[in-house]
Amino acid sequence: MAEDQQKLQSLSDAYQKLQQDLQTSVSARQKLESQQQENKGVQKEFSLLPPESNIYKLVGPVLLKQERSEAVMAVEGRLEFIEKEIRRIEKQIQDMQSESENKKMEVYQLQTQMRPVEQ
Amino acid sequence: MASTKADSQPQTIDLNSLPMAQLNNVKNQLTQELQHLTTSFSQLKQAQAKFRDCGNSVRDGLQKGEGTPILVPLTPSLYVPGKLASTETVLVDIGTGFYVEKTPPAAQDFYSRKVEELGRNLQDLEKIVQGKQGNLNVVEDILRQKVIGESSKGGGEGTT
Repeated sequence: MAEDQQKLQSLSDAYQKLQQDLQTSVSARQKLESQQQENKGVQKEFSLLPPESNIYKLVGPVLLKQERSEAVMAVEGRLEFIEKEIRRIEKQIQDMQSESENKKMEVYQLQTQMRPVEQ
Repeated sequence: MASTKADSQPQTIDLNSLPMAQLNNVKNQLTQELQHLTTSFSQLKQAQAKFRDCGNSVRDGLQKGEGTPILVPLTPSLYVPGKLASTETVLVDIGTGFYVEKTPPAAQDFYSRKVEELGRNLQDLEKIVQGKQGNLNVVEDILRQKVIGESSKGGGEGTT
């Protein structure tokens, strides 16, 4: 019984750890989403801009003038990168979810197993 | 977050059939989601107000043209006098560190577009919040009924 108790403890610890990791991944996913939205907004803005407008990029405390094509490319590159990251994190989240589901089941099974002993 | 969605969406579960503990979990989950959504909602509202302010500033602030005396904030509580040097163009932050030179009307247009966009998002979000609120109400109702049923049937024999 003490063995079971210990096993349950380590199992629920693992489960909790997994949940925490999942939480971090989910927040990372959310952050990526907001970055994606922002970059998409910028991209849209660029496409609406009259061709002769001046574009500046904030580098540290300084505004640097940038070529339009350069700026457009930078945003495109970022969007691509973000998309890739999102796909990677989504996969991570899915894996973690199924794993934590398994752990949950294990804990549950162990608990039902132990119950008759306790009573 | 997504795990409960997977649990509750594909097959419909009769909420009445769930045990109290699980119902409580569902309730907590919904409350959490609702809270998250309402915070997002107010943040969006704030952002919208900020954009609206910017638009108004561009419209009102530049009306009088060059040389207009203004007070420039050095910090939120310290101002120095100055003069508007140029009202031909303004520099607009369009996000992710990019700034674009725009004429005042174009800047106003930009801000009103942003306000509109956020307004649409707010509407969508409001619908979602309402839906969640409805779900929460249903769950709470059932939970209340269960509690009443339990106490009238079992008397002191509560299993919680």
